[in-house]
Amino acid sequence: MSRKKLVVIGLVISGLIFAIGPCYAQKITLVFSDWHLTEPHWEQALKEGIAVFEAENPEIKVKLDYVSYAEKETKYATALEAGKGPDVFHLHAYSMRSFIERGYLYDITEFIEKEGSCWYGKDFLDPWYPQTLELVSKDGRYYGLPGDFMAMVLFRNKKLFQEAGLPTDIPPRTWDDFLAYAKKLTRDRNNDGRVDTWGFGTVGAISPGFELRFTPVLFSHGGSYLTPDNKRCALDTPEAKRAFKFFIELYTRYGVIPPGVTARNPGDVREQLATEEVAMILGSGWTVPIVDGLNPDLKASEVLEASPVPVAAGVSPKYTTTAWLSTWVIGRNTKYPEAAWKLLRHQTSKPMTEKWFRDARVLSSRRDVSGGLESLGITGYNELLFDKFARVIAGELAHAKFVPQVKEWPQIIETVNTAVQEAFTKAKSPEQALSEACRRINSILK
Amino acid sequence: MKFFKIKPCHQGYLFILPCFIMLFLVLGFPALMAVVNSFTPIWAKKFTFTFDNYVKLMQDPVFWNSFRVSLLFVGGTVILHFLIGLVVALALNSQIRARKFFRVLALLPWTVPDVISGLVWRYMYNPTQGIINYLLMKSGLVDTYIEWLASPSLAMPSVILADVWRGYPFVMVILLAGLQAIPRQLYEAAEVDGASAIQSFWYITIPSLTRAIVVALALDTIWQFRRFGLIYTMTQGGPGHTTEIFSMLVYKQYFKFFNFEYASCIAVFMAIILFVVSLPYLKLIVMGSKGE
Amino acid sequence: MSKLKLKSTSVAYLVLGFICVYNLMPFMWMLSTSLKTLQESYAIPPTLWPRDLTLSAYSKVLVYGNFPLYFANSTIVALSTALFSTFIGLLAGYGFSRFFFKGKALLMGIILSSQMLPGVLLVGPYFKMLSAVGLYDTRTGLIIAFTTITLPFSTWMLKGFIDTVPVELDEAAMVDGCSRLRTFFSVIFPTIAPGMVATIIFAFLLAWGDLLWCLSLTTSESVATVTLGLTRLVTQFRIIWPELMAGSVVGALPPIALYLLLQNYLIEGLTRGAVKE
Repeated sequence: MSRKKLVVIGLVISGLIFAIGPCYAQKITLVFSDWHLTEPHWEQALKEGIAVFEAENPEIKVKLDYVSYAEKETKYATALEAGKGPDVFHLHAYSMRSFIERGYLYDITEFIEKEGSCWYGKDFLDPWYPQTLELVSKDGRYYGLPGDFMAMVLFRNKKLFQEAGLPTDIPPRTWDDFLAYAKKLTRDRNNDGRVDTWGFGTVGAISPGFELRFTPVLFSHGGSYLTPDNKRCALDTPEAKRAFKFFIELYTRYGVIPPGVTARNPGDVREQLATEEVAMILGSGWTVPIVDGLNPDLKASEVLEASPVPVAAGVSPKYTTTAWLSTWVIGRNTKYPEAAWKLLRHQTSKPMTEKWFRDARVLSSRRDVSGGLESLGITGYNELLFDKFARVIAGELAHAKFVPQVKEWPQIIETVNTAVQEAFTKAKSPEQALSEACRRINSILK
Repeated sequence: MKFFKIKPCHQGYLFILPCFIMLFLVLGFPALMAVVNSFTPIWAKKFTFTFDNYVKLMQDPVFWNSFRVSLLFVGGTVILHFLIGLVVALALNSQIRARKFFRVLALLPWTVPDVISGLVWRYMYNPTQGIINYLLMKSGLVDTYIEWLASPSLAMPSVILADVWRGYPFVMVILLAGLQAIPRQLYEAAEVDGASAIQSFWYITIPSLTRAIVVALALDTIWQFRRFGLIYTMTQGGPGHTTEIFSMLVYKQYFKFFNFEYASCIAVFMAIILFVVSLPYLKLIVMGSKGE
Repeated sequence: MSKLKLKSTSVAYLVLGFICVYNLMPFMWMLSTSLKTLQESYAIPPTLWPRDLTLSAYSKVLVYGNFPLYFANSTIVALSTALFSTFIGLLAGYGFSRFFFKGKALLMGIILSSQMLPGVLLVGPYFKMLSAVGLYDTRTGLIIAFTTITLPFSTWMLKGFIDTVPVELDEAAMVDGCSRLRTFFSVIFPTIAPGMVATIIFAFLLAWGDLLWCLSLTTSESVATVTLGLTRLVTQFRIIWPELMAGSVVGALPPIALYLLLQNYLIEGLTRGAVKE
């Protein structure tokens, strides 16, 4: 071949490399991890949302990472400690404080400041409920954006109420009403001589979901976990003791909870509701779609009703229930912070959070979706406001308080979880279990 | 070649070197790190020497519970491994047909990973869907569903029983080997002298088995102290803290609560205890194998 | 004499009969559940043998799940561990057996006592070390860990075996002009073959069945082992027993197969290495 031809070929090849190379070089792969991917309806929704993102950002490819609800904290913590970990992931507020303190999360404050304003002209962070922003920040720096925000409410099966001769349109307003209903709902449905349906189902296993089912009972009795300065255990107050005893005696004394409660995790409890083994449970936005998926014949959206958590007679606490908050975060070891931020922003955007509601019935922590900005003339997402369950859940947000935000929280709540187990199994009396738990919590906090 | 210029006694060092390098890297150095960690304040960014963790440990009821539970577990399983292993070994040692077949059968559970045995037994213990309650109720021995793994008093025995299934074959094999090494003439002579079966057992069998027993018990104790997979799959330490053996406690502190320093403290303490307890056995084994 | 023999033999058969049932019942249950449909596994009261026999659990696990991947990972890790551990153990065992050097007893003692270091003590720091060299979440990291854990036992067993070959044979061969290596292969190796097989099996079993190290040192699906895969199935919302049991059956097969094929060696190795006069 002549030298001229060689030069031309060389130039063409270099040209091609320069043209195509950058395209390949710029292909960024982000790892996105979410326990919701293990739930069919959520998985579908998330995949669709990601597809939209990838279409809008062709240079970014998103790889999905599945993790189980119970193990996610462990998995993320170990990966992040080891210098790895997902780029963007979904976290439960339960562990937010300890993750921030351990430095596992990427500081996104600068990204937020660069964003400027939101779609209706105010600060970028304005749409979110203020209390949710507190949970994702420390000392003025932000480590994540709030995700799903819902209050815990009481779900009841109208059909079972009717069968037991109870009024279907009157929810229990006090715990005494609740107990009376639960007793009547605990009966032998198929007439074989054995009780096969119970009034109430709840979580007794060691699970992150325990916190959401026990806290409303505690709060609605006027109790709290810690003193306001978060320095000491407050479970030794009369209110807390009353709440604890009530919760335990539902099982040990009144028998309105099915046997084996200490092995039940949230999934089992939802299954109990779906198979009509129980008539009432505490749940939130995610409950109905999951129950529907477990047993479509139940026609969950017709048969179930939601109502605020009952209160204890004689007390009017300011907060009667707790709120669930999930957070979207960036791992500190990410190689592509800007790309990760884009994904984060996308997952928490108004259109996406409306989609999460449509597909998974979860309420957003954005007030321009769940309501709260009426003063600015902005109404929330229509479909959400007219949904019979979402209405109740959103309405209870004003009465919902988060659990204490301390870095020792996972250990503290497990101590309470264990005390509940010990009392459920009658290994200790409720008073004993609670006072020992309190002592232990105080030593954890020292 | 150069190798042969090295003196024989130094050659020996070369042969054992790779082994020691690996031991140091994977066991020695991390152990040192853990010890250093245990003297670091919890969640601290820098290292400052403190005894705080150990002080806290001594006052921690959950730790002492774990200590008690671990002793219960190790003691229970080792003793049962030994008793059942001995009985089966004796049976296998006698004049039976198809000995090979039975021996294969007897060792089978030990080959299964303890995670799998944990899972199978967990399902067997399931109150409503499991086979154990089913058989008990069918035979009329009980009339309600027994909560094996959820009941604080039954959880530990249930776990021990599952581990016995998995673990006795190993002890049995060692004891069987020991039994087979005993010369028949001893028994024959004893019988001629008019000794009963029990007497020959007590005065011939047991003494000859001493070394095998020591080895089996020592190894078994050490391994049982380190058991993790079985408890993790069966109960995760629950209900409450009733099956929280120390490996489970350390794991939780480390990977659930992120109290790295405290976890190291617990682990170091338990390692020391294990070391002290096994030292006499070790001495026996090392001395025995020296035999030169 | 025959009366004693008869009594002891019948007692022996009785004992072995119980053992048969005790040993086999869980296996039977595992197998039976793996062949059931999901509905039937939830049946109250449970059925001993499936009414509707189905292989759907196996197909779900083997075809749709990640099980083949877990299986491959476990095999790679366990096999590598077995080979490395035996090789290094052989070197060390040979060194301890055939050479005299200062501090031999002490060093031997150190090796044996290293077995007492509990895994939970080591996984945390070891995990930090691995991350520092980029070996976190890799099979290599696991192999290094398992090899080291099985080394004390391998060394001790192989040393015991090599000890049984009289040194004089060594010397005779070397006088005849064999190098150490030749001597090893022709004199020692044939005798200790059972010991080597036993060591290989033992190391394989340990690596195959481990949970703690896998749990702590890996995080991606791509390097997950069978034990890890199974425990992850459990922590999901509902426990799907047929699939879990199918996975367990598959996970238990290699160790069982290995054992059945090579049990003679294993037992001989264990007994010879452990019990000496």
